[in-house]
Amino acid sequence: MLVIALCKGRFLDPSLAMLGSVGIRFSEDVASSRKLIFDSEDGRHRVVLVKPTDVPTYVEYGAADIGIAGRDVLLESRADVLQPLDLNFGHVKIAVAGPRGTQSINGNDNPTVRIATKYPHITMDYYNARGIPVEIIPLSGSIELAPLMGLADRIVDLVETGRTLKENGLEIVEVIAESSARLLINRAGYQTKRHEVRELIQALEKVIA
Amino acid sequence: MQARAKRKRDSAQHKQTRAASKNMKSFTQIPPGTQILIGRAARRRRVLERAICSVFEGWSYEEIIPPIFDYYDVFAKGWGQEEQIYRFIDREGNILALRPEFTSLVAKTVATRLVSSPKPIRLFYSGEVLRFEKPKGGRQREFAQIGIEHYGGAHKAADVEVLLVAVEAFQRLGIQSFQINLGSVDFFGGIVDRIELPKEQIDALKEVLNVKDQSGLEALLQTLPLEERRKNILRAVPHLTGGKAVIAEARSLVKNPRSVEALNHLEEIYSIFERLDLAQHLTIDLGEIRGFDYYTGILFRAYVRGLGFEVASGGRYDGLPAAFGEDVPAVGFSFSLDRLAQIVTPTLENNDANSAAVDIDSDFRKALELRQSGKAVKLCL
Repeated sequence: MLVIALCKGRFLDPSLAMLGSVGIRFSEDVASSRKLIFDSEDGRHRVVLVKPTDVPTYVEYGAADIGIAGRDVLLESRADVLQPLDLNFGHVKIAVAGPRGTQSINGNDNPTVRIATKYPHITMDYYNARGIPVEIIPLSGSIELAPLMGLADRIVDLVETGRTLKENGLEIVEVIAESSARLLINRAGYQTKRHEVRELIQALEKVIA
Repeated sequence: MQARAKRKRDSAQHKQTRAASKNMKSFTQIPPGTQILIGRAARRRRVLERAICSVFEGWSYEEIIPPIFDYYDVFAKGWGQEEQIYRFIDREGNILALRPEFTSLVAKTVATRLVSSPKPIRLFYSGEVLRFEKPKGGRQREFAQIGIEHYGGAHKAADVEVLLVAVEAFQRLGIQSFQINLGSVDFFGGIVDRIELPKEQIDALKEVLNVKDQSGLEALLQTLPLEERRKNILRAVPHLTGGKAVIAEARSLVKNPRSVEALNHLEEIYSIFERLDLAQHLTIDLGEIRGFDYYTGILFRAYVRGLGFEVASGGRYDGLPAAFGEDVPAVGFSFSLDRLAQIVTPTLENNDANSAAVDIDSDFRKALELRQSGKAVKLCL
């Protein structure tokens, strides 16, 4: 049996739809149930629902053989997992944003750039690679508020349409990476359950939009 | 005046409590990445260790007990992962390091003290190593490694021998569902040799291939000035995992002598395993490109169903003894005892049940007699 970790939240419906299109279906309504573990109708797969940021952890440790999570979450987690497929949904940009008209602020004006973010690792890696000293201000929500309140000079966050940024007087300064849903696979499971895992990868490959 | 004296007294008291609570913390809290094995857990470790050692001894490997620390250069040169090494400075100013692994220590010993010993040299070791890394999968920063090193043997025979020792160790532990993934640094190395790209781009390629990221690879290939034939080879690499058919598939892709030689070598090993009825435990994995820099030939990792991390890894590292002054071929592997302990539950003899409880009033002579006759005793104090 293959154990698949899915994120609760906005990824759940497209993830279930994708599994459904390769024949992994559930007799219960996974999205509305309060249960956390579901076995597929054919009994060959089990889905567990976890927080998005926990998906890479479940897969890295092998508690789940497979997971579906955004590339943003995966990069931030630094989990050592295989990631063979881009599932082509949940597209967002991971971007640096700042108050409109402050594009030109750089290390010369500000010895240390203060950056509010939910993604401290991604932010650190990005600026370390450029030799720009930054101070990370870790926040867990409403990141856009930080520059408005003088808490930070910049933010690093997900940008889907850019509307939230616009409405808060912010704009994209640089795009760090593109993110979308990825199929994650535990390294050991890829070997010890090779036939089941590859069968699933090949089936998914055919249905990716 | 009085108020000031009181303030002084208060602050002194405050300092004392703070110091006391700080001390307290240092005793209750153990440093992250360390662990303490007590009773059954310790016995389980020793039972596993002894079982594996007896397999090693059965294949005529002799134990080596190297020091727990050596000069930092030994590990920096031999092992490479400098950021993971615990180092310190002795009173004379030498930079020393706690051993992060055994292989470079053993290679150094073989290249120096054992330089004139008849080859092949077969050695095994068992003990703790220390690495500054994230504790993961039951492996802490201090963890137990047990493994073998084979120096100076003919390549193919030595490779097969160490693989057979690993197989027997699994069987001895009662593990049936284990998979040894066998690859070669020369297969991918031969491909990379032919690609004329700057190091950063090769590293970027390795990074996406390492996680089998197809879309990342595709995006990267778009930007690289490579002919389509080479791109197709790189596209195929992540999928080259499976039985003997993988070798044939790989042959249709590459022509460079280094890769072809690696495929010949893997095929020979696989054929020997087929003849021994052990091929079901072997997977050819040419898509595996991870591994310490010191590997020069075959490379393998062992997985057990039910555990998310590899339990053993090893390979050939011919260049390592040469780095210490003696050019001698070398191959070996190590098991992670901490990870094995999670999947194997050896039957432990119950000491309590076998020991005769001796009442202290009945006198110590009785206890001595029982001990001399080989019985376990437990004094009722």
